[in-house]
Amino acid sequence: MRRTARLLTGTALAVAAAGLAAAPVYGGDTGSLEVYPSSVVPGADVTVNTAACGSDGTASGDADAVGGGTFTLAASAHEHEAIGQFQVPPSAQPGTYEIVATCSHGRHVTGDLLVTLAATREQVEPRGHVNTGVGGALGPDPVQTAAGVAALAVAAAGGTWLLHRRARGDGI
Amino acid sequence: MRRVSNAVIASVTLVALCSGAWLLGSGAEAHPPPQPSPAQAAASGGAARSAAPALPHSPPDRIRIPSIGVDAPLIGLGLTPQGSLDVPPARKKNLAGWYEAGTSPGERGTAIVAGHVDNAEGPAVFYDLGSLRKGSTVEVDRLDGRTAVFTVDAVEVYDSRSFPDAKVYGAARRPELRVITCGGGYSRTTGYQGNVVVFAHLTGSHH
Repeated sequence: MRRTARLLTGTALAVAAAGLAAAPVYGGDTGSLEVYPSSVVPGADVTVNTAACGSDGTASGDADAVGGGTFTLAASAHEHEAIGQFQVPPSAQPGTYEIVATCSHGRHVTGDLLVTLAATREQVEPRGHVNTGVGGALGPDPVQTAAGVAALAVAAAGGTWLLHRRARGDGI
Repeated sequence: MRRVSNAVIASVTLVALCSGAWLLGSGAEAHPPPQPSPAQAAASGGAARSAAPALPHSPPDRIRIPSIGVDAPLIGLGLTPQGSLDVPPARKKNLAGWYEAGTSPGERGTAIVAGHVDNAEGPAVFYDLGSLRKGSTVEVDRLDGRTAVFTVDAVEVYDSRSFPDAKVYGAARRPELRVITCGGGYSRTTGYQGNVVVFAHLTGSHH
């Protein structure tokens, strides 16, 4: 009996070990952590999101590199993405920092955050008009035009035929 | 027998003539997108309704304008080498974009959304934008799960040659939104003469 128990324990340990060995399958780095905005000034709020955690996955975020501490990424209804926020401390130095998120099932994803000084940030605004149309709603529809030309050709052929008969005195 | 076939030919000819003329006529007929009336211009000095509190930064992923049947995904847009706002790929009719390097919709400042009025095949996502009226609602779904609700303050049309950059793109103290498409008359040689611009500000949000 004791022997059986030991055997079972051994088997369980082996299975657990195999499970651990298999874990890196989920630890791959496919998928990434999106960081918005990817370039900020010290003191700004940053939103990160990732689809790497699966449909109902949550994740723990780590922004310690930039001094933003840890935060939680909650599952959202938007395209199965986990989303979280943190604040870049006002004392953060300019540079590129790696932000890490670890899914509840163990997968790691990372994204880069660029911190710049306020002076260089000066949001660039677009200029001028926007090219959002080509006039396709106004021009003739090529299919309709072709159909119209074909119909007129039929009419011309019919008319010619009738005139031809009349000219021959076939009676009309 | 001959009489019958003559009659048949005559009627086929007549039908073909009429339908050919109709097809060519209506196909070539202009269907310009609706343009805003002067009544939809910004009220001079009129204090707009109070704004809702600003939301934190979050990228948007969808825009809805129920009164003109718009419900389209949003993609991030950058700038062209000339500094104008880039546009979404024209092939996708139901697609709009937002200026990614700028304010996100709901955040304090001026968020910018643009979409095509038409493409080579016909009307596109913002074809009816010019028929929008003051007080209409524009909703933007955001990746943080919130929906930012904007109320239209004005619908204006501006000529490309005198585009009021500061008014359209300039910073705002409250959360505001601009929705831009082409408009303002069309010329076969130079295309649309300007842009229809919808001005709106945040009046609410929900999850």
